[in-house]
Amino acid sequence: MIFDDFGMDTASLAGSLEGKLAAVRRAGFSQVMIAANDVVGHPSGAKAGVKAVRDSGLRVTGLEALRDFEGLDGRMHAYKVDVAKSMLEVCGELGGRLLLVEATTSTHAAADAERIARDLRMLAILAIPMGIRIAYKGMAWSRTTKNFAAAGDLVFRANCPNLGVAIDAFDVIAARISRDELDAIDPEQIYLVQLSDYMWQEIRSAEEEAATATHFRVFPGEGAHSDGLADFITKLDAIGYCGNYSFDVYNDDYLQMPPETVAQRAQRAAEWLGETVLRRALPIPNMERLRRTARA
Amino acid sequence: MTNLMDREAVSEPHNVLGMDGIEFIEFATSKPQALVGVLERMGFRPVARHRSREVELYRQGGMNIIVNAQAADVPRTVQPTERPVLSAFAVRVRDADAAFHRALELGAWEIPVRARAMELNIPAIHGVGESLIYFVDRHDEFSIYDIDFRAIPKVDPNPPALGGLHFFGLVQYIGSERTADWVEFYSQIFGFAPLPDSKRFGILPKGLLLESPCRTFYLQLIEPDDLARFAPAEEHLQRIGFGTPDVLSTVDVLQKRGVEFLTSEKVHVSERGALTTAALGSVMFELVHNEPGNAAAPR
Repeated sequence: MIFDDFGMDTASLAGSLEGKLAAVRRAGFSQVMIAANDVVGHPSGAKAGVKAVRDSGLRVTGLEALRDFEGLDGRMHAYKVDVAKSMLEVCGELGGRLLLVEATTSTHAAADAERIARDLRMLAILAIPMGIRIAYKGMAWSRTTKNFAAAGDLVFRANCPNLGVAIDAFDVIAARISRDELDAIDPEQIYLVQLSDYMWQEIRSAEEEAATATHFRVFPGEGAHSDGLADFITKLDAIGYCGNYSFDVYNDDYLQMPPETVAQRAQRAAEWLGETVLRRALPIPNMERLRRTARA
Repeated sequence: MTNLMDREAVSEPHNVLGMDGIEFIEFATSKPQALVGVLERMGFRPVARHRSREVELYRQGGMNIIVNAQAADVPRTVQPTERPVLSAFAVRVRDADAAFHRALELGAWEIPVRARAMELNIPAIHGVGESLIYFVDRHDEFSIYDIDFRAIPKVDPNPPALGGLHFFGLVQYIGSERTADWVEFYSQIFGFAPLPDSKRFGILPKGLLLESPCRTFYLQLIEPDDLARFAPAEEHLQRIGFGTPDVLSTVDVLQKRGVEFLTSEKVHVSERGALTTAALGSVMFELVHNEPGNAAAPR
């Protein structure tokens, strides 16, 4: 039995968009994070990609990922605003309510916090008429925003009601960030938590971290840091996080396996997290809202 | 350009754009004749027709209403259907071009010129749902309607308002938990400010009221009821509110012209306000006690 707030990511799976969505659904998930290229790269065009997602019956966790958006000048800024608008439109057509924005890793980007906050704020206002929330995620190899604490500071500075952070558990574990750092962040400001693990105990360099993050992630429960992950999401639960958990597992091996097989691994991960780690009993529809209402 | 006040903590002026009320409100419909009947009963008179498009201008007192039956050619804008839809409103500002570019820098969506109802260079941005918001300036020097509209011969171009009717506000239906987002949008781009719950006008106090920086126009943001919270979040401009200094006598005049008002236990005509029954499935008008040209008197 899979809880409603766990979802898969189309980037974890091989094959056609329709095949990925069917595998996610068959494994018992009710939501899916959509990698933009899966939709716009649909062989019959972006409209067909949107239709496939809408017809799947799966809820869209969000669309990923707008990259290298903030801190640019002049023509580059205008270009990125156009890219952002296009992604917001696709997100809106999918019925998605969240756009994942990864902190810039561009050397052209200014590192000035005020400037970054202003750009994030503009992005958030662009998203308001469409009812989309912006989840800003720190990147370990970003010059300006390396982790969720830095992302949280910028989000606080930008101060827009539909701007929050996404936390990637991989980054937290790889950088050995203390779970107590979560105390500094308002749980209402956490819009998405991404979960994955990896096989080796230690990451020795930034290059190795980047390679691991993009090619060698595994599902929670399959890697070397199950205790750390369990600890992390127990803490999130304790501070009152009630948003979605998405498995952002990017693994070259999984892209050579049938999507059904990979989705079954995701299913095992969701069961482990829901039943063993969070010790939940019955899945309830609209869990997020009910829990939020109960807390209020 | 250097901001002369950047060395002191001088707060931004309240009315950054020099906003000065509403120039027009637009309906889109594929059956304009049916809507025109409703507008005429409310006291509006046809004064001009667009030279090349299926667009007409109705007026009473200081209020302009555009009826647009032209098919739209841009995504996320209203495609006229039989059911009339509130498709745009135009704010008067000191410098429309400056206000427009400031809005774009803050994160508003630009509307391509060809999609705009009047072919004039009136800049516009996306508003709630499929609606647009125009920026109009120099409204006191000449009329934006002089160029692209042809006056209807032998009619008074400035018909007086029934019962001192004037634009008071727009009611906007929004999704669940979306109030903070829309407050941010209207306060950043236009300088609207939320009013405390204790300050309410008319007979339908639900939701949150935003006051324009010129303090003559209000936006009322209404989230769905608890029961409808899980329904898809449809957001749109729901109705126009008219101010009138004497609600009861204005209701009387309008009833004689065939306008019907709601008379339920919860919503009925009073000195504070009134609500018409829905015409054509969607068109409602609200009356609110208010003196024209003045900041509204809270009840």
